[in-house]
Amino acid sequence: MKLFLYFSQTIGLDILDSKGQWVARLHDIAMNPYSDIYPKASELIMRRGSYRREYAKVSWEDIVYIEDEIRLKIPAEQINFSKEIPKCDFTLRRDIFDQQVVDIDDQRVVRVNDIQLLRAENQLYAAHVDVGLRAIFRRLGWMGMVDLIVFCFNSKSPYLTHEDLIHWKATQILPKLGRMKSVLKLDVSKSKLNSIPPAALADIIQDLDIFARVTVFKSMDAVLQNRVFTDMTLSYKEELIDQLTEDEVAQLITNIPADEATDLLMKLPREKTHHLMGLLGTETNKKLRKLLSFAKDSAGGLMTTEYLYLKADATAADGIKKIKDNINFPGTIFFLYIIDDNHKYLGTTSLRRFFNEDPQTLLINTCYPENIHVSTDASVEEVALLLERHKSSSIPVLNAQDILQGIITIDDVLEELITLAWHQYKEKL
Amino acid sequence: MIFWQKDKADSFFKNILVFLAMLGPGIITGSVDNDAGGITTYSVAAATYGYPILWTMLPSFIALLVVQEMNMRMGACTGKGLADLIRENFGIKVTFWIFLGLLVADIGNTATEFAGVAGSMDIFGISKYVSVPLTAVAVWILVTKGNYKISERIFLLFSVCLLSYVVSAIAAKPDWHQVGLAFVHPQIQYDKNYLIMVLGIVGTTIAPWMQFYMQSAVIEKGTTMDDYKLALADVVIGCIATVAVAIFIMVACAATLHVNHVTINEAKDAALALKPFAGALASSIFAFGLFVASIFSATILPLATAFYICEAFGFNAGIDKRVEEAPQFYTLFAAILIIACVIILIPNAPLIAITLWTQDINAMLLPVVLISMQLMVNNPEIMGEHVNNKLQNAVGWSTTIILIVLTVLLMVLPAFDLFKAH
Repeated sequence: MKLFLYFSQTIGLDILDSKGQWVARLHDIAMNPYSDIYPKASELIMRRGSYRREYAKVSWEDIVYIEDEIRLKIPAEQINFSKEIPKCDFTLRRDIFDQQVVDIDDQRVVRVNDIQLLRAENQLYAAHVDVGLRAIFRRLGWMGMVDLIVFCFNSKSPYLTHEDLIHWKATQILPKLGRMKSVLKLDVSKSKLNSIPPAALADIIQDLDIFARVTVFKSMDAVLQNRVFTDMTLSYKEELIDQLTEDEVAQLITNIPADEATDLLMKLPREKTHHLMGLLGTETNKKLRKLLSFAKDSAGGLMTTEYLYLKADATAADGIKKIKDNINFPGTIFFLYIIDDNHKYLGTTSLRRFFNEDPQTLLINTCYPENIHVSTDASVEEVALLLERHKSSSIPVLNAQDILQGIITIDDVLEELITLAWHQYKEKL
Repeated sequence: MIFWQKDKADSFFKNILVFLAMLGPGIITGSVDNDAGGITTYSVAAATYGYPILWTMLPSFIALLVVQEMNMRMGACTGKGLADLIRENFGIKVTFWIFLGLLVADIGNTATEFAGVAGSMDIFGISKYVSVPLTAVAVWILVTKGNYKISERIFLLFSVCLLSYVVSAIAAKPDWHQVGLAFVHPQIQYDKNYLIMVLGIVGTTIAPWMQFYMQSAVIEKGTTMDDYKLALADVVIGCIATVAVAIFIMVACAATLHVNHVTINEAKDAALALKPFAGALASSIFAFGLFVASIFSATILPLATAFYICEAFGFNAGIDKRVEEAPQFYTLFAAILIIACVIILIPNAPLIAITLWTQDINAMLLPVVLISMQLMVNNPEIMGEHVNNKLQNAVGWSTTIILIVLTVLLMVLPAFDLFKAH
């Protein structure tokens, strides 16, 4: 008895009843995804007839053995055939076989060519999914021939030695067709997706079709949604929000960094932007409205209004408290900006500069000696040059009256410069 | 006042922009459809049978519209390509045979495109041993090194070039009364060659690979059922444009070649034969149109074929991937290009036989693809509430069945000939 068998090889096996009479052929295997680490086979679905197909299901307890044929404990009369395929929560053929799944380890979307089943004490478990080329030839019935040909050319070919199997634990099933209510609740193994870093997860869900994308996105918790959404490409963000409700979009826009939200709003048609702005809370609305008024590639367009600031009379103790209170702040928390009562910019200090100071020291005295800042209409290149010259990772943006408007962090500059460089590179080709 | 006006102008402009953004899949598919093979079939048919054969464009239009609408709806509903859907719903064996057929047919189709390049350049005095390899290299560079801007410009150029057939047709001074009559009173002949020609026309208008292309293009645009009306408008406009261009090609040939009893075997002959009747300019324009159409389809076809095959079998694909990231994709693309190129460059290659074989494989493949589509588009598990309604089914199935009957006839008729001969 083999320990492993392939699902493709079980499809079509003859099923015999308790008297040894032929009943039907195996069509599909229903699994219980909640059972163990590995889903356990719970029912088998059989079919008979070629023109008018009839289906029936039998519980796994009624099976004597599964070998080159399947033997049942019950007589054929006890099996009720019907024209409809019996409803099951989760079956191998319908939900995994030939479908796309996410490979959690390699963080990619793959297509399942076969499923490796583990046999233990007359139970079947789904152990691995096979995504290799060899599985395609196995299903076409050409594996022996192709193996032989490859062996003749190169006996150590990775095609023969390396199996493209993905462990069940690292396999995330996707909703079969997004627009249908998926029978399988995605949150069963939601935690699998949660183990992927948001940036990689953003890449993965961009590889899915639009409906699967929405379903997977909606299955995430709000914090993960914000982070994944932030990391998605602009055009995909646009496509995704078309599929979300207005409340969901408003939530997202409020909770992602303000500069990302601005980029998205700028890309949208104006009517839509107006409409969305109306749904936002007054605070967010005010913040975004200001950012939206600047040209996209100017300092004003690049900056974010999310920064931590204190008045001129604040001490080092106040500074540390401010940082502690804002530990989940979406923007940078390592820099504090000191302003006067009119929000006029006075200086920048960093955690490193006041952390070890006497708690009573005024923060204004720990500020950087060189006072670097840019105006709202400065160009990306100017900002980049200043950041490089002062080896700094963020820079305050002031208006003509020296009022602090926002800050630019180095990642936003990089993003803009990479786009520029990429365009130039493409032009050269 | 000024703001109000600005807003209004803006929203009108925006409506057009939205439409243009949605506009695309149908029109591009339609344009690729008028490739070297199409131009050859249309011009040979019109030269042989004259204006009366124009009626075939009506059923072609309806069939094209029905099939493309289904593709668009499936793409908008599922967000998946046709290759994906076939793989997920019919399993690997069906997928494998469909795609083997598609691969062979598309190598043949690509060879036909290169034959178009060779033929049209021949008119300008450039040998095929120069033009074909150069075109292949240009296609490779365009695909691997090109960017969106260049591709877009090339596409625009191509669309403009299709208008060249309108010029050719008008220069040929056709009898418009007869053109109109051909649609109002179709005259149908009942002999074998005529039947083959009719099937050839319908078959070249609805090629199997187009269905895959159309659906992928719809998904690429991010179309969903919310955009159905705009997408439908695009499909209708695309079909009209395709058929209109085909009609102009046929009119140009019917007005000159048929009237003067010139018979031709290739699109190149049509360009050459136009010269004495419609002038050197019309002839050159016709040849140039053929050249651009061929080069455009020679780019799209191998690319699209490689893409669907990879999609169906789960390999990485796309021109945004590097060669190491998507080896299967680039291998397939290069292989199709090279094989097609070599076929054309073999001295005394049986080009007509290759064209006929390609048409046969296309014809065999088409019913399989259409039946798969019909089954899926009627499956509520795939389409939800957007399954075909009764009218769509009636038109869809009758199109499918008529095409199958015609195809079977085309396959069986040569066999009858063999019996007669012995």
